[in-house]
Amino acid sequence: MLHHIQNRIYHVEILPPKQDSEKLLEDLDLFAFKYNRVMESGYCACITDNAMGLLAFQGTEVIEELKLPVYPEQVMIHLNTFHTKKNLDEILHSCISLGIRYLLVVSGDGSERLPKLKPADIGAEGAETVTSVELLQYIRREYPGKFTLGVAFNPYEPEEHEFAKLERKLAAGASFVITQPLIEKNPVVDRLLAKHPGLPVIVEAWMSKKLHLLSDAVGYPIPENTEYDPIETLKSLHRAYPRCGAYLSLLNFKTHYDLLRDTWQSK
Amino acid sequence: MKIVVCIKQVPATSDAKIDPETKRIIREGQKAILNPFDLYALEEAIQLKETYGGEVIAVTMGPPKADAVLREAIALGADRAVHLCDSAFGGSDTWATSYVLAKAIEKIGGVDLVLCGKQAVDGDTAQVGPGIAAHLDWVQATYVMSVERVGTTSITVKRMHEEGYDLCELSFPAVLTVVKDINTPRVPTLKGRLAALQCEIPVWKPADIGAEPSKIGLAGSPTRVVKTQPPEPRQTRTVRITGTPQECAKALIRELRLRSLV
Repeated sequence: MLHHIQNRIYHVEILPPKQDSEKLLEDLDLFAFKYNRVMESGYCACITDNAMGLLAFQGTEVIEELKLPVYPEQVMIHLNTFHTKKNLDEILHSCISLGIRYLLVVSGDGSERLPKLKPADIGAEGAETVTSVELLQYIRREYPGKFTLGVAFNPYEPEEHEFAKLERKLAAGASFVITQPLIEKNPVVDRLLAKHPGLPVIVEAWMSKKLHLLSDAVGYPIPENTEYDPIETLKSLHRAYPRCGAYLSLLNFKTHYDLLRDTWQSK
Repeated sequence: MKIVVCIKQVPATSDAKIDPETKRIIREGQKAILNPFDLYALEEAIQLKETYGGEVIAVTMGPPKADAVLREAIALGADRAVHLCDSAFGGSDTWATSYVLAKAIEKIGGVDLVLCGKQAVDGDTAQVGPGIAAHLDWVQATYVMSVERVGTTSITVKRMHEEGYDLCELSFPAVLTVVKDINTPRVPTLKGRLAALQCEIPVWKPADIGAEPSKIGLAGSPTRVVKTQPPEPRQTRTVRITGTPQECAKALIRELRLRSLV
């Protein structure tokens, strides 16, 4: 993952079509368009897993169905704990057969319709519930050497608790970190970088003008009438965190994608 | 094993509006979904097919837009579907609805097992499954929480009640209504969803199933809804807990225990 940062490869979030889509074929076309653009740009496509608990198709099944090319360095799959064991293994097997190596392992947002892994399903009988830590342990134990595993870091959570959790995630096999969205330099992220100087850290940049969603992500209210320029925010994050990669969430492919080229010059 | 799963499209919201004249739910303009309890019936049918072989057929009675829940059933793994759709079916109460479904099951023929959710979340009557069994004169078990054994001529299930469960052996053909504890429903795959978009779903009308006009729709419905009213709003009380984090945690646990929530 370090070479992604060294080579200034953006991580571009792509949401797969939702299960209840009434225009599924159009949504699949749009997914393919975005995915192919990311591939052509040499960036890394990061495909979400039922983001915000909304039922969506899995990235692996969309890639398989649409026969999209997979360049191992350019695809990352999010994987959360809201799966059946059978479904989890199917996703991991699909990743292996497609050549997908990067996984972002998160606890995830559930919903009533989504099953949740139970500790006994993945050999974590000692745990009360399955979190990203137990999921990391399972993947590392059952699929040794097959994946490069990343985890989330939330600087808006109670700080000591979040650092303790990160230590457990690193001990369980995580080798890179993606933060929650940052809109400016953040002292907790600064502490993370100081504490783990060799750890690849990718900061999330909020690329949408939907500030109510950003408020949910950061955990404090951001007024809707706040002037927010995603590209300027991204540039300021590059200046603040030159050692970090950038994860672009909810990027507008029509208005902002072409501007990326000049935002973080390739080496 | 040939399994029919009876499913229903219901309003997505729990805040359903009632027509003051007809006392029926206003469905126009409401987002509609597959009745959540029917998902468990579908999942159980698909699991039984995966284990013992056979065929799963989803059946619904409803307006043209109810086609969506049949496609969802196919996306999940049903082999085919039947849509009972005709204005003559409109206004059917649970007795007339279960008659129509029973006639469709007879027409499908050779059915071993009928599965239904324990109830639909719009009407909450839990009468259609038992009604189907009554019309067909088949054995039935309601509130089934697990399938224990499947033999060549019978099925053994656990039936949930307040004080535990009954272990029941039912000879085929049989009708079961299921509760949420029975399984964890799967999520449709993209392949399944795409196949469901393209499949043909036959539409059956009263004449196709040999339904007697006097037994369907309003004419066949003995139920008369005299009055409906929303339930009384729940009384809520806010408790503010103050103190150190440890004191707050202790007080919170005490409050939750008082309400038997932990």
